[in-house]
Amino acid sequence: MPAKLVIQDLTHHYPDEYTGESVHALEKINLKVEEGELVTVVGPSGCGKSTLLNILAGLLPYREGLVTVDGVKIEGPGSDRGVVFQEHAILPWRSVSKNIGHGLELRGAPVEERKQKVAAFIKLVGLEGFEDKYPHELSGGMKQRCAVARTLCADPVVMLMDEPFAAVDAQTRITLQEELNRIAIATKKTIIFITHAVDEAAFLGDRCFVFSARPGRLKAIVDINIAREKRIWSEMNVDKEFLSSRDEILRLVREEVNVAIEE
Amino acid sequence: MLLSRNNLNRFLAFWRHFSGANAIHLVLVIFGILLVWTLISHALENPDRYLPSPIAVALSSFDMVYEGLLPSYFGDTIGRLIVGSIFGLALGIPFGLILGINRTVADMFYPMMNFFQSISGIAIFPIVVVWFGNSDKTIFIVILYTSFFPIAFTVLSGVREIPMKYIHAVRTLGGSRFQIIRDVLLPGSLPHIATGSRLSIGFAWRAVIAGEMLAGREGLGWMIFTAQDVDRTSEVILGMLLIGLSWIILDHYLLRPFEADTIERWGLVQR
Amino acid sequence: MSMASTLSVNIQKRIGRQRLRKFFLGSIPFLILITVWHLNEVFNWLEPVFIPKVSEVWEAFFILQEDCEGFSAAIALDQSCMMSTHILSSVGRVLLASIIGLPAGIALGIFAGMSRPISKVLEPIGIFANSISGIAWIPLAIVWFGVGWMTTLFIMLNTIFWLMFFNAMMGVRSIARVYEQSVLTMGGSRWDVITNVYLPGAMPSIISGMRMSMGFGWRALIAAEMIGGDSGLGFMIFSSASEFKIEEVFLGVIIISLIFLATDRYCLIPLEKWTIHRWGLVWKPH
Repeated sequence: MPAKLVIQDLTHHYPDEYTGESVHALEKINLKVEEGELVTVVGPSGCGKSTLLNILAGLLPYREGLVTVDGVKIEGPGSDRGVVFQEHAILPWRSVSKNIGHGLELRGAPVEERKQKVAAFIKLVGLEGFEDKYPHELSGGMKQRCAVARTLCADPVVMLMDEPFAAVDAQTRITLQEELNRIAIATKKTIIFITHAVDEAAFLGDRCFVFSARPGRLKAIVDINIAREKRIWSEMNVDKEFLSSRDEILRLVREEVNVAIEE
Repeated sequence: MLLSRNNLNRFLAFWRHFSGANAIHLVLVIFGILLVWTLISHALENPDRYLPSPIAVALSSFDMVYEGLLPSYFGDTIGRLIVGSIFGLALGIPFGLILGINRTVADMFYPMMNFFQSISGIAIFPIVVVWFGNSDKTIFIVILYTSFFPIAFTVLSGVREIPMKYIHAVRTLGGSRFQIIRDVLLPGSLPHIATGSRLSIGFAWRAVIAGEMLAGREGLGWMIFTAQDVDRTSEVILGMLLIGLSWIILDHYLLRPFEADTIERWGLVQR
Repeated sequence: MSMASTLSVNIQKRIGRQRLRKFFLGSIPFLILITVWHLNEVFNWLEPVFIPKVSEVWEAFFILQEDCEGFSAAIALDQSCMMSTHILSSVGRVLLASIIGLPAGIALGIFAGMSRPISKVLEPIGIFANSISGIAWIPLAIVWFGVGWMTTLFIMLNTIFWLMFFNAMMGVRSIARVYEQSVLTMGGSRWDVITNVYLPGAMPSIISGMRMSMGFGWRALIAAEMIGGDSGLGFMIFSSASEFKIEEVFLGVIIISLIFLATDRYCLIPLEKWTIHRWGLVWKPH
């Protein structure tokens, strides 16, 4: 079966907004993501993870290389690639339900269909009772759950997540990670998850792409062969497979961090 | 929607919280001022002309209310304020939105707007008077002119300040340019529209008082001007107090709470 | 490469493409306006009593000044030197009101702000004083000082004073207690606290208050000159309007806005940049 998302020889430079110099963000990235996979991308700061995500989302135009989803070249943002942003990007002037249903609304879906789907996703992310609340009444974790629900409700082909749990406290983060696993099982979505936390990358990813320091190259791919249903923190903390994969990723990232420091 | 019961309750609670001042303290301050005022007034040799005592001012107010003049002047002034402001806002808001959305249009009109804004409404008055004479039309145009710029500038910068992440979010949901304007830029600028309206109405208030004085149309501004002419200083002071009081009530108890509530509700951080 | 294109590339490099583009786009409405104004003369759409000829406005400046006997007469504010007399009168009042009103308002505001109870008492007074716009004081000022320069000066001074007073007071009040305590515990005197904590800390409010009070004060001055003055730009445009000399009105209005723009752009904004932005302070709105 052909891969869902294919990146071929992606290279990217951009001018620094303060100095005007050219920043070499990514160098010859080649990777494939299969349907239904949850892959994580991890690397030291400045390795181009966010740049990569912005390119995949279509928010950043690229010139060198080729990125395709289902064989179609990415030209700009679109509802086929849903994004969960790091900063809460749910619209403050819409209630939770209206935010979640926004994608369908933009597409002109009938009201009944919208209502049903929104209700289903509210249930999925556990926001029952908060349908009519506004974002400023929600905690950080709830806002991100709303964001995830919004992205899923729009039924994208691929879901891109840009360090979505970075701004949330540690306890909530653990809960959200386990919930994301649950959602991945339930929806079977293809998910690309960017993070700088190695633990998170190992916990969530079927495969983990480790990026090098700038310019970002694909340094290594680490497989984590644990069934998604088994991924619960209390169990993972003692799972040998998990621990060895995580240590491997950590070692690789540390190498790159040192390289970046020495530069 | 905006007028739902839930919203009304929240607004009332906010209003109460917002305007709850230390009432006793305020009363003492007012009392103290009245005392000092009375003392100074009595110390002068011609108080009726230069500084009538608070009692004299109060008596003249009774006269005017009895003759029905005061309410009528007040109504005239407020009426002009409302009509002029509505048109000024109705023109300024769309103008500010368009300029905020389209950079090229903004680059074109911004310098000209700056230039005309520096010609304050007061300075434009003589020109308008030559065109339209000493009429209500003149005052209306001056108010419109004065209230147009603050809201237009505020809305313009407000639209520019809307965080990009919201625009990105709607783009990745597959929204078209029009949908982005409708779902992000318009709602996102509402807090700035509220702030700008408050500023505009403030400018309009000053303009209406000046306009009445200059164009000789009945109202609060006219009242204090003509009273000065016939040495009825107590009416002058009465008028000034009313002007100040009206603005305080309008600004602190109506416009500001509305603005603050809009900002809070929509959770946008205002600089 | 031709001369023209080398020149243009050089200009673009020096000024920056964006700025150049903005300059050209921004001048389009002005050019259109002036063109339409000129065409009005040619086609006579509106009668000359409503819109003067461009040339008339330009000439009015010199006509008003033609009886002037020379530099010394101009300085002495001789009545024959109409233009210069009016400009100097207004500008002079602005300067005088600023020199007196700004320091007075700032100083009293700071002192008031230093004491929490006093500032709590004075705050409502400040709010009320600022609610009675400067313009509403004009009739009272006429009662006290008659029609003339005293009234106009008083109005601007009054407007500036109350605004600066309130802003300075609230600025000092908004400074966290801990700064004042840290200076005192380091052995500083009250005066040290004033210069090292209150003054800098209240600076954002003071500077933005300065900009506001100049704007409001200038407008109030023009209004005062119109209503209760006998000289100055405000008086000039009002009396010219009543004589239907529209070209003089246009001239006066243009001069007023130029003076204001120049003051704002070359005095006030740089002042703001120099103090607030340099010190990295954030403007706290009231």
